[in-house]
Amino acid sequence: MLSYIINRLFQGAIVVVLVSILTFLVMQAVPGSPVDLMIGKQKVSIEQRKAIEHKWGFDRPWYDQYFTWAGNLVTGNMGESVVRTGEPVSSMIKNAALMTLRLNVLSFFISIAIAIPIGMLAAIKRYSWFDYGSMLGATIGVTIPNYWIALMGIVLFSVKLGWLPPYGADSWKSYILPVFVLAFEEIAALARLTRGATMEVLGQDYVTTARAKGLKEKVVISRHVLRNALLPIITVIGYRIAFILSGTIVVETVFGWPGMGRLFFDSINRLDYQVVQAIVLVLSIVIVVVNILTDLTYALIDPRVRIR
Amino acid sequence: MSIDTTGAIRETGPTEKSTPAAGTLATQGVREARSNRNQVWRRFVRYKPGVFGLVFILLLIGCALAAPLIAPHDPFEIHMRLRGHAPSSEYLLGNDSIGRDILSRLIYGTRVALIVGIGATAIAVTIGVTVGAIAGYFGGWVDFVLSRLVDALMAFPLLALLLTLSAVFGPSLRNAVIVIGCSIWASYARIVRAEVLSLREFDYVLAARAAGASDRRIIARHIVPNALGPVIVLASLAIGGVIILESALSFLGLGVRPPTPSWGAMLADGREFLRRYPHIAIAPGIAIAVTVLAFNLVGDGLRDALDPRVTD
Amino acid sequence: MSSNDKKRMADVFGARANRRQMIRGAAGAGLAAPAFAAGLQAAGAAGTTRFATVDRAQGTPKKGGTFVCLGDQEVVGLSPEDADPTVVWAVVCQIHDSLYEQDENNELQPALAESYTISPDGKTWTFKLRKGVKFHNGDDFTSEDVKYTYDWIMDAKNGSTRIGNFDLVAKVDAPDPLTVVVTLKAPSPSMLFNVGGTYIYPAKYHAQVGEKGYKAKPVGTGPFKLKEWNAAERTTLTAFDDHFRGRPYVDEFRMDVVPEASGRAAALEAGKADTTIWPLGPEDNQSIKDGGKFAYWDWVQGAINHFPLNNEHPFLSDKEARKAMMYAIDRQSIVDDIFQGAAVVADSNMSPAFKWHTDDVTKYDYDPDKAKQTLDAAGWTGSGTRAKNGQKAAFECIVKTGDTVRRPEAEIVQQLFKDVGIDMQLREEPSPAMLDGMRTGKADAALFNWTYGTADPDATNELSSGGANNFSHFKNAKVDELLKQGLTEMDEKKRIAIYQQIQQIITEEVPFLYILILKATTFYAKRVKGVPEKMLNGDNFIQKVYQVWIEG
Repeated sequence: MLSYIINRLFQGAIVVVLVSILTFLVMQAVPGSPVDLMIGKQKVSIEQRKAIEHKWGFDRPWYDQYFTWAGNLVTGNMGESVVRTGEPVSSMIKNAALMTLRLNVLSFFISIAIAIPIGMLAAIKRYSWFDYGSMLGATIGVTIPNYWIALMGIVLFSVKLGWLPPYGADSWKSYILPVFVLAFEEIAALARLTRGATMEVLGQDYVTTARAKGLKEKVVISRHVLRNALLPIITVIGYRIAFILSGTIVVETVFGWPGMGRLFFDSINRLDYQVVQAIVLVLSIVIVVVNILTDLTYALIDPRVRIR
Repeated sequence: MSIDTTGAIRETGPTEKSTPAAGTLATQGVREARSNRNQVWRRFVRYKPGVFGLVFILLLIGCALAAPLIAPHDPFEIHMRLRGHAPSSEYLLGNDSIGRDILSRLIYGTRVALIVGIGATAIAVTIGVTVGAIAGYFGGWVDFVLSRLVDALMAFPLLALLLTLSAVFGPSLRNAVIVIGCSIWASYARIVRAEVLSLREFDYVLAARAAGASDRRIIARHIVPNALGPVIVLASLAIGGVIILESALSFLGLGVRPPTPSWGAMLADGREFLRRYPHIAIAPGIAIAVTVLAFNLVGDGLRDALDPRVTD
Repeated sequence: MSSNDKKRMADVFGARANRRQMIRGAAGAGLAAPAFAAGLQAAGAAGTTRFATVDRAQGTPKKGGTFVCLGDQEVVGLSPEDADPTVVWAVVCQIHDSLYEQDENNELQPALAESYTISPDGKTWTFKLRKGVKFHNGDDFTSEDVKYTYDWIMDAKNGSTRIGNFDLVAKVDAPDPLTVVVTLKAPSPSMLFNVGGTYIYPAKYHAQVGEKGYKAKPVGTGPFKLKEWNAAERTTLTAFDDHFRGRPYVDEFRMDVVPEASGRAAALEAGKADTTIWPLGPEDNQSIKDGGKFAYWDWVQGAINHFPLNNEHPFLSDKEARKAMMYAIDRQSIVDDIFQGAAVVADSNMSPAFKWHTDDVTKYDYDPDKAKQTLDAAGWTGSGTRAKNGQKAAFECIVKTGDTVRRPEAEIVQQLFKDVGIDMQLREEPSPAMLDGMRTGKADAALFNWTYGTADPDATNELSSGGANNFSHFKNAKVDELLKQGLTEMDEKKRIAIYQQIQQIITEEVPFLYILILKATTFYAKRVKGVPEKMLNGDNFIQKVYQVWIEG
């Protein structure tokens, strides 16, 4: 077990380094320089421009810049943005991550609370109107692009009705639209999954046996079906958590939510290497670690799965 | 986004990854199915929403092929005076911000949606199956290196990867297909690798090897065809996701090259005019949703049809 | 008008034009001329300007309340060094002051300076500073702060992006606490724009925390001081009790970041903000005007919406072809229908907002037949896409990624070009890549807004051979010489003649396709009192939030 974890962590570390080198190379390949954004329309001659590039180290070869970056990282310094120079990248990411987490955690819990009962009920009442209705809804929910729902939400609730703010994060009201949009498809996906998992369990021999023993349906469901069906659901939730910081670029752009997604998108557009680099690093570490944790949890819950 | 690294609408990816059993079961389904294609078809037809999806996709393909015949107007024709005009009898879905006919652009937009959806998925399947088969068949350090590459890709937030790649290569239809295809193959590789790991111990593979067949021949003839079942299901579910991805890229300004009509780009244009001309954003949104829905229904149908656990 | 205002880059990144032109434009209108003509003597006396333009009918000032402004992008930093984007500037200008500032009617007003004199050779400028001015940290403002600021910018190792403004400065002296002497290498009529508009750092504090620390914790002499800075969300400033003009009436100034234009419009209509520093779409403007909750001011900007063309490209190098393209573009319809009248057709590289502008230039009215004839005559022939000696009349144009205003505009032009047999392909790229492509000549053409001379008419960087922002790779010996003369010509009339001659050459050579100049609409909520009746440059009024109060 321990050696498994160490092995996985080791592999994870390789993956993270690979990802960071990849990002660095990719960003180097983008034409243009962040210096363009710093200078803007200032009256700066070609020589003066070179001096500015030199000051920021953009005239050095990429591997040199990479090692500087990686070296700083080891000492806990994530570098500084070329654009938002007044704030260290680490605090920038911390603030943005908190904003994204607030949004995602909220929508995540709401969707779990709604989706799991719906999915199970649909499975238990298989082929009823409830089943068809909820699953049709769920399928549609998965297939509508979330930013379109977001736009339509803004048109309806902010523009036409004026009930909710169209942007920002200042009051509880500003959470309603983005949380709803994120939860909407989350619910759809989870409900579909829960239904599938529950149906599978319902067909298992031990459920049939339990029923044959004359147990009440309620007991069968709560004792046997529920617990076993939760297994795959928990796994999926784990994988979802891995992407909890990175999943909302488009929604954040639409709602002007100052989270990780928007920071990332803006940083790419301004070629803010240091920020892009740091965000990708953080995201990939989260994904790798959570994936390992999920696999471990899965193994702990399900005795049938053994770790190789 | 709603999409995991295959491009599949998200719940399929993790399930495939997390339940090692699923892949094998599905494979058995394929083997069974191969023995009786009629049965698969019969099963598929029984799932009515799947049939609806298939019919709709065929219609879309028809639209894409016959766009010049069906479209009431030239999708590129600009009427500056008709900026943002609401639907009328002449322009059934109204006009966009520079007065082009939205309906015609929607019809031409099926081309981009289908080319990207099918093209990118095809690229992903090709790369994924090749890498997965090689990794699974040879094992050892080859497997280690390829698997870490796959891990790295999967640890890269998908939309983030797409955004950076698009920024490097510049937006265009061809690049969109390539960039999306090259970003989403990792899950296919993982499934195929798992399949191949079990397949390579099968009798007929051992027999072929004993008979002196080359590795390449064994992989191409004996292993890959038998590992394709889950790939097909996953791919059909993923096409819808890829279409959403393309539209998200276009929405963020990194999709196809203007003025090529793309649903995502139309939506992005409409965003600016939500308050005054909401109809610009409504039509492409519905088109995307229904198309993705259709591909998903077909995917669901295929999964049921190929899954032996679903009994007649 | 500080050095930074001069160069808003914002329009490259956002949908619209920027401040710089305005600001400088402003200067064009009134300021420097009389002073220069006299060769000496000071501009207006200090301390009397505060309510000069206030409409008295607006009632008695009240204290309290928060003034909310909306911006379209992050407030990336709070140092004058960061103030290139208009949104950032709108915050930085609350915290800082410069020696001279340009007001909403394009008049130069003394701020930290009381007056200035120029030596007869035009090379020595002596500024008298205002007495009793305090920084937010309690330090006294003196000539040492001015000298420190100017010296810091001129020191190349600091990598300041404002260094180009000090090209002609030889040295800065502070003979006594209230006197600054700037010695120039050559006479410069643009001195007050380039140097006088520079926001002043507190020497002691800035030296202590460094530029990096300063960006997060600025200390200025301005009417508001920093309370909380959250770059991506909002920046809050509070009134500075010891401000030399007196404490502002409002307690707080807030900049909320709302990237979506429709989001800003909705927020204004919902009464969530008092103004927006970044313009809205024409339809949104109309609907807010109709709503009646806002006072508004329409004004012409200074940036030219244009297609720079790589003059070394095999097709674009043909002057006749470039002229034909001008004839092929229906600029009036673009202004009327797409911009809903919120723009004017450009007739040269200079906006009519400035006195340097002239009408006496070659004009290119929409005439597709003439475009075709011109192309035919120049040897570009054939059906479909024209060609000459195997070279196709084709090129690629870059539009900024996600630019929902200019991309449609480019699509229209693309169609119009197609009608006359020119093939223009479009490609979207982030702005650094777009600018880099044009600078290095890797790209053929692009569409963005830029200024080619404003209130300060100099455009050496843009129009001289090999200039850093000469996106079109335009080379013209006569223009090079004129630009050089214009830099040091102290006689206003002669200077105007120089820049008008440049416009005539530009319109004859057409190095780039100048399309239009945007009009902006500035909104202030009706609850905000103390606003002037007239604004020729609405953006600039944001500097004067200190003079407004909030009713109700």
